[in-house]
Amino acid sequence: MNKKKVYPFYFVLGALALYTVLFVVPSIIGIGYSFTNWSAYSDDLKFVWLDNFKLIFSAEEDYMDIISNTLKFTAVTTVLKNVLGLALALLLTKSIRFLNFHRGIMFMPSVLSTLIIGMIFKSILDPANGLLNTFLRSAGLGFLAGKWLVTSELAFGSVMAVDIWRGTGYIMTILIAGILSISLTYYEAAGIDGANGFQKFRYITLPLIMPTLATTTVLNVIYGLKVFDMIYALTNGGPGRTTTEVLYTAVFKRFGTGQYAAGTALSSVMFLFMAVVGVFMIRVMTKGEVAE
Amino acid sequence: MGIKKLIAIGLVIMMCLSVAACAQNEAANDGGSNAAATTAAPEGGQEADTQANADNQDITISFMASIDWVQEAELELGKKFTEETGIKVDYQIVPSDQYPSLLMTKLNTGECTDIFGGQSGKFDIQTMYNVEKNALDLSGEEWAKNVDELAAAELSVNGALYGQPMQDVSNVWAVAYNKQIFSDLGLEIPTSYAGFKEVCDAILAAGKTPIYECVADGWHHVEWFPEPAVTAEAASPGLVDQLNNNEATFSGNATFELILSQIKEMVDLGYWGENYMSNTYADSAKNIASGEYVMTIANQGFGAEVNAVDPSFSVDNIGYFVMPLADNQTLNVNPSGPSRFAYSGSENTDAVKQYLAFMATDESLQYLTENVGKFNKLPFSNAPSKYTETISEFYDRYPTSGTVFQTAVKYVNPQWMEMGTNISALLLGEMTPSEVLETIDKTRADQATAASDPAWAN
Repeated sequence: MNKKKVYPFYFVLGALALYTVLFVVPSIIGIGYSFTNWSAYSDDLKFVWLDNFKLIFSAEEDYMDIISNTLKFTAVTTVLKNVLGLALALLLTKSIRFLNFHRGIMFMPSVLSTLIIGMIFKSILDPANGLLNTFLRSAGLGFLAGKWLVTSELAFGSVMAVDIWRGTGYIMTILIAGILSISLTYYEAAGIDGANGFQKFRYITLPLIMPTLATTTVLNVIYGLKVFDMIYALTNGGPGRTTTEVLYTAVFKRFGTGQYAAGTALSSVMFLFMAVVGVFMIRVMTKGEVAE
Repeated sequence: MGIKKLIAIGLVIMMCLSVAACAQNEAANDGGSNAAATTAAPEGGQEADTQANADNQDITISFMASIDWVQEAELELGKKFTEETGIKVDYQIVPSDQYPSLLMTKLNTGECTDIFGGQSGKFDIQTMYNVEKNALDLSGEEWAKNVDELAAAELSVNGALYGQPMQDVSNVWAVAYNKQIFSDLGLEIPTSYAGFKEVCDAILAAGKTPIYECVADGWHHVEWFPEPAVTAEAASPGLVDQLNNNEATFSGNATFELILSQIKEMVDLGYWGENYMSNTYADSAKNIASGEYVMTIANQGFGAEVNAVDPSFSVDNIGYFVMPLADNQTLNVNPSGPSRFAYSGSENTDAVKQYLAFMATDESLQYLTENVGKFNKLPFSNAPSKYTETISEFYDRYPTSGTVFQTAVKYVNPQWMEMGTNISALLLGEMTPSEVLETIDKTRADQATAASDPAWAN
């Protein structure tokens, strides 16, 4: 077989046409609409140019808080899911009893519907009758019982904690695959040289799973920036105005109240931001790769 | 290569066979239903009904509504409707804090259910639901002439009726209180905010929580603002018209500011208890029945709801008085409420109309009134009435009445959930009463401008 064979361009045309029609064109139309006064209240469509963007970035609106919430959610959940996922992956690649059972238990939250998890946790975190506070009180730890989802101080942390609980198992599974692909001979050689457990992790495991970690980071960042269902089910952006409001819940609310143009403007800002983050991350990830 | 070709040919043959088989099934199904139709057709009466049922076997109409809008009794009637007509009904019940956004999204994307629940209100059904485009004109339906005149006015645009009331709109959202506890503590119905505070302090001193409030639902705590706001019209007559003509604003109005300040004060003084942010409306009857809480905001079916939770709790043990914020003593009436709308994009309009007609029959209205505690008189001329002495006494206690602001004033009801968010921000100390009022004005202006309302043209 000729490995240098270059397939003709028309092979890609079908996929490219579908992608263009279904993704590129709607995205461009969406960005176009963000420069208009498109709303459910009137069929009269007029260009208002940057008015919607001025609204988003104006001091009297809460959009900057919403953007900041989204970034905070993304950063915190990405770091913690990676750290906890890595710790669990390291534990669950050792020879322990019922290994697959433990892996299954940790992975299970990831296969449950996010909305259902949200509703279950809404009940668990209920301050008066929720499972968590009831347990804390019965264990003599009543002072730790909090109003998890209904106070400004705790709501965002609680939402992120539930999301981290849900997503860590998934990241763990990917990292387990990465760790298991490392040849045991490296560890044996390091053991002979007198390396301890931490040194083996620091100098063998970590460098060799960096590509896997990069993948999980990309997945987490994209998920974090696009998060919707978990927050929608747990707090719907509350309590108060913007305590846990993120971009997609805000976009949903704008569309829900018929303010399409403001919603698409917000989506466009998000699109731009994600494109920049995406390009940056791809560059960082492919930095050390050599073209074959 | 030979094997590949063989597999490819095999796959093509299998595909052709499966397509042919599907077509045969369809033909068989058609034949089956034709056969059923032929056997059912011979004579009228029961046979005709059977045929209609057979024809309707495959029809399922979808009905989306917020929690607490579709009653258990309506679900039962739905089953009976299916038995009689063969048309199945798929009820899609959505949490109340998520419903308005979801409904608007579905309407705006053209993917709404066959029937959708929505709040009536002559201004809002036009600007918010755009019923002239999104809902069917139901004026010609047999039951339409039975709809109460005031309720019909809130469901009509340019003389055409677009919805069917689904709840009792004679009800007034008021403070429902435990009469026994009031009597035990020697308390009287308050007629001013100062008097109300004295009542709450006495209840607190007795080790009980004065008010059961539920912010988690997003809508219930809002009742404290636009309902007693009727007193603002009494304080400055003509205010409603001025607000509708964009000649007055919410911000700067002393009565509105006072009401919001008093809501905040009630929370700060502990009248709403500890868990008001996470309480839900669904638990209100249970909590009042327990005696742990003494008052809540409810309508006049609440006594029956508490009785349903605890049969030892008499229906008449719940009394009512108007929310005395800003010393309000005007009865806050509201001829609008949750209603059924037939989606204009539905492919099952005949089935939808049959469902609406079924729900408005004498038998259905009687069944709903008898089986839903909070229904005393549904807004149809052919609906029975079951007002108790307590309820009549409550209505008679207040000689003056006024239409609540969410119905009387344009662009208030569409922002109900947003007001809920802002009032909860007020309770958390994130906003001041003036800021809440400014936000209401701003949202009204946004909606009016988007709707090209001439009063907001400049």
